[in-house]
Amino acid sequence: MKSILFAAMLAMAAAGCRQPTYAEDDKSRIHVGIVFDIGGRDDHSFNAAAWEGVKRAARDMPIVLRDVEPGDPTSLEPAMRALAERNYDLIIGVGFSQTPLIEAVAKDYPNISFAVVDGFSQVPNVASLIFKEHEGSFLVGMIAAETTKTGTVGFIGGMDIPLIHKFAVGYEEGAKTVNPNVNVIQNYIGVTDSAWNDPVKGKELARTQIDKGADVIFSAAGNSGLGAFDAVEQYGKDAGGRAKKFVIGVDSNQNWVKPGFVLTSMVKRVDNAVYRIVQDRVNNKPVGGVHVYGLENEGIGYALDEYNKDLITDKTIRSVDEAKRRIIAGEIKVTNAMEK
Amino acid sequence: MELFRIAMIFSTIRLATPLLLAALGGLFAERSGVINIALEGLMLGGAFTAATVTFYTGSPWIGLLAAMGGGVLIAAIHAVACIQFKADQVVTGTAINILMLAVPTLVCGALFGTTGSTPQIPRSSLMPNAPIVVAFALVPAIAYLLYRTPFGLRLRAVGENPEAADTAGVSVYGIRYAAVLVSGALAAIGGAYLSIGQSSLFTRNMTAGRGFIALAALIFGKWRPVQTMLACLLFGFADAAAIQMQGVIPYVRVEYIQIIPYVLTMIVLAGFIGASRAPRALGRPYEKER
Repeated sequence: MKSILFAAMLAMAAAGCRQPTYAEDDKSRIHVGIVFDIGGRDDHSFNAAAWEGVKRAARDMPIVLRDVEPGDPTSLEPAMRALAERNYDLIIGVGFSQTPLIEAVAKDYPNISFAVVDGFSQVPNVASLIFKEHEGSFLVGMIAAETTKTGTVGFIGGMDIPLIHKFAVGYEEGAKTVNPNVNVIQNYIGVTDSAWNDPVKGKELARTQIDKGADVIFSAAGNSGLGAFDAVEQYGKDAGGRAKKFVIGVDSNQNWVKPGFVLTSMVKRVDNAVYRIVQDRVNNKPVGGVHVYGLENEGIGYALDEYNKDLITDKTIRSVDEAKRRIIAGEIKVTNAMEK
Repeated sequence: MELFRIAMIFSTIRLATPLLLAALGGLFAERSGVINIALEGLMLGGAFTAATVTFYTGSPWIGLLAAMGGGVLIAAIHAVACIQFKADQVVTGTAINILMLAVPTLVCGALFGTTGSTPQIPRSSLMPNAPIVVAFALVPAIAYLLYRTPFGLRLRAVGENPEAADTAGVSVYGIRYAAVLVSGALAAIGGAYLSIGQSSLFTRNMTAGRGFIALAALIFGKWRPVQTMLACLLFGFADAAAIQMQGVIPYVRVEYIQIIPYVLTMIVLAGFIGASRAPRALGRPYEKER
C-alpha cells in the first residue's frame, strides 16, 4: 500500500510540474485562463479543438496560459472566479452551459475580458463565439445521403439540447436536398452532462441505427461519439477494402481516429476562434461582442484529407462545394434550430 | 413487434452484463453485512485499469486480471475501513466513489498526458464476449455457493446474525473481508467490460451511474442471485428499449420508458411486490465481544 501511495504522490508531483504556474510570476505577459466543458480537453472533438487553439496561441504569443477541467458542473463557477480573482486578463469558457456563469462572473469583474464558446451573451466584456453548425451539418448531410447505399442515415447527438438540435436539423435538411426520400434516424445519448462521456451508450445507439438500416452515422456527442466509431469498425470492410458502414466526425477533424471508416468530419474551427480572441486581447483590441463563424470565414466546414479522399466521389465533392457557395451567397437557407 | 427482434435481445444482454457483474459483486458484500455503495467507484477502477493495462500489453486477458487485482485493492480500502475500523459503510463507499473519479484522471495525466481518458485500444485487443459468458455463468455458480456450501451458509449467517455466527466459531471478520474483496473483483470485471468490451477506451466517469443502477438491481432482486440477474436483464431491457424507441413513438419521451425499472424498484422497496428484506446485519459493523 505504501509504495502505491508513494508512486501516486510522485505521479502527482510530476503532473504538477508540467502545469504553468500561477499569475504571480510575469506580470508583463497577458494571462489567459480557459475553463473546459464536462467532456474534458481530450474528447478528440469540441474541447480538444479549443485546447488546440489556446496551445497554438501560447506558442505564437507571449502569454501565460492556464487550463481548468471541472470535474462536475458545480465546479465551473468557482474555477472561473479563481482565475478572475488572480487578475487573469482573458478567461475563456468552453461550452454553452457556461454562459450564465460567465455572465455572473463578468459582471463582478468588469475589467477582465471573457469569452464563451457556443454561448450568446450581451454583457459588454463577454465575447460570444458562435458557430453556424447547421450549415456545416447541412454539407455533411449531403455527403451522407450521396454515400448511403441503404437510403438510411443516422444522427447521434450527445445531450438532448437546442444546440445539438442545430446539428441534427441541418444534417437532415442536407440529406433531404440530395434525396427527399432518405430516412434520417435521430438519437440522443441522454439529458444530463454524462451524455458527453458514455461511449458504451454511443456504441449501442450506433448499432441499433445500423440494425435499422443506417450505413452512415453522424455523431455529435463528444467522447460518447467514439462508441459510434467502434460500432462502424465492427462491421468491417468489403472485398474492395471499402468500409461497409461509415461514421462522420464532429468539431475536430476526426478522420484519423479510425482511418477508412470516417467518411468526413464536420469541423468547427473552435481553435481558430479561440486563437483569434487571444490575439485580440494581446493586441489590446476590444474583445466583447458577438463573433460569428460560418462557411464564409472558414469557421465551419467539412474535412477532406488523405484519410478520406478515396471515400467520397468527385461528383459529391463538386455538388457539396456548389451548395456551400450557394449557402454563402444566401441562395440556400439552412434552418437554424436555435432560432425557431 | 419491433421490441422483440433478435438484435434487441443481444442489446439487452450487452447492457445488462456490466450491471449483473457489479450487482453480483454487491451481493457478496451485502450478504455478509457490508453495504457496498462503492460499486460505481469499483467499476471505474476496473474500467480504467483494464484499459490501461490492455493498452500497454495488448492482451485483454492480462487487462482483465489487472482490473480484478485493482478492484480487490480498492475494495480492500473499503474492507479495512468498514470491518477493522468500523467506519460508516455508506460514507466510506461514497468516499471511494469520489476517489475513483479523481485517481484515473491523475494517472492518465502521468501516463498519457491526457486528463481522464486512455488512448483507444485496437479492435484486435478487445474482448467483446468473454465477460458476458462470465457474468451469466456466475449466476448459477454463486447461487450454488450461497445456498449449497458451508461457505455460503457462513456468509449468510454473518450477514444475518453475526453474534450467533461468531458463537458458532465462524470468523465474522474473515468472511466479511473475503466477501468485500470478491465484490471488488466482480465489480471491476463489470467495469472492464465497459472499457475493453463494449467500447475501446476509458473516459472520465464512463460508468455514468451504472454502479448505482446495479445496486438498485440488487435490491430489486432481493439480494438473491437469480432474481438479481432477472432484475439486471429488466434494467438492460428498459435501456435497450429506450434506445430502440427513441423517436419512434411521437410525444412519448424515452425517459418514461427509462424510469420504469426505477419505479418498479421503489414499488418493491415499499413492499408492494413481495417484501424485499435486506440482510439483517446490513450496515452494522460487528463488534467482537470480549
